[in-house]
Amino acid sequence: MTIVLVIALALLTITLFYVGLRSRRKHVASRPIQPLDLSAFHTLIDRDDEVFLREKLTRSEFFRLKRLRIRVTWKYVHRISDNSAVVLRLAGMTRQDPDPQVVETALQLADLATTIRMQCFVAFAKLAVEFMLPSMQLTPAMLAPKYESLRANLMLLRTLHPQAPLAAAI
Amino acid sequence: MLTKTLLSPWFAALLVQSLLATVLLVKRMWKKFPLFVSYAVANFLLSIALYAVYVLWVSRRAYFNAYWFSEAVGLFLGLAVVFEIFRHLLAPYPALRRLATQIFQGAVVCLLLLGGILSYAQSVGEHSHIQAAFFIVEQVGRILEVGLLLCLFLFATVFGLHWRQYVFGIALGLGIFVTVELVAVTMRLQFGVVASPILNIVRSVAFNASMVIWISYLLAPDLATSPAEMPKRAQLAQWNRAVMELIYQ
Repeated sequence: MTIVLVIALALLTITLFYVGLRSRRKHVASRPIQPLDLSAFHTLIDRDDEVFLREKLTRSEFFRLKRLRIRVTWKYVHRISDNSAVVLRLAGMTRQDPDPQVVETALQLADLATTIRMQCFVAFAKLAVEFMLPSMQLTPAMLAPKYESLRANLMLLRTLHPQAPLAAAI
Repeated sequence: MLTKTLLSPWFAALLVQSLLATVLLVKRMWKKFPLFVSYAVANFLLSIALYAVYVLWVSRRAYFNAYWFSEAVGLFLGLAVVFEIFRHLLAPYPALRRLATQIFQGAVVCLLLLGGILSYAQSVGEHSHIQAAFFIVEQVGRILEVGLLLCLFLFATVFGLHWRQYVFGIALGLGIFVTVELVAVTMRLQFGVVASPILNIVRSVAFNASMVIWISYLLAPDLATSPAEMPKRAQLAQWNRAVMELIYQ
């Protein structure tokens, strides 16, 4: 039993070394920030649209369409996640700038990019579950605790970016 | 024949270790990586001492003491190197440091618990109780090292952190060596002294491979990263809102 667990741990570690090696090469290639069509993204994740489709389509057609939407949404979230990583890297590069204001701004951006990156992982988990079970809608039962979390996130956003309209609204 | 096979990688290791020590000293790496330099130099000096004790065959007791002393020093300095890698990796990301520190504190506790449980569940094929106790302590230490390196790589992958040339080389070399060490010490505990000759060869080869990785990363020029334009904070806030809408919709 111990041997099996140790070998599993060793294999996992070696796999992560390989992933690290690959991602390092990707970073060195240095991708720029990819453009993102946010209005298209909003249309894609619109729940009202989903309710309409659920009523109008057959079960199998709806499932197929929902999975397709999830796949495209996944790509958008992936792009946001990638962009956040680029921002983190850029913020890290500017930390030794002689201007303290630049350093401060870079710090704030890095903070926000970290938050976004973490939220992207939550979004990936949610999309994965919905892809496996298209009939499932995770939101309503968890609305209250999520709202609390949302408020906390928005408070953070307000402190980082006072001009954000959504942050000021809550 | 067996002794020759055992000695060859050992002697090769001494040569590669001397080369590594030279590279570290020439490149004045002690300024940037004092713990790693201490680890490499201490390993080199202890290997010479151990080799001398083995070749001169002072006594079985002397070899036993020298071997476990070098293992203890290597284990302790290895953990210190993991800490140094952690510090260097997160140096450009102050925003992540607090979160990473909390995660790593939790990971240390979990890994010590895991090490304790695995060692307790481990069936011991070793006849000497003292030897078995040393191996168990080493197993727990290696689990801690491997687990922390795993957490480090996982954390870097999740947040897309950029590994600098030297830091990545040190982490990769140490990671390969300690992972093989963990498997070897577990096998040694399980199967006893019969597994020792083959495991010693595997460990020597892994250690030599790690040193080759360290030397090649130290000598290779740092790959340049092309600068990209920093986005506006409002753009990030928009991405943030978009993802939150997806999560909380």
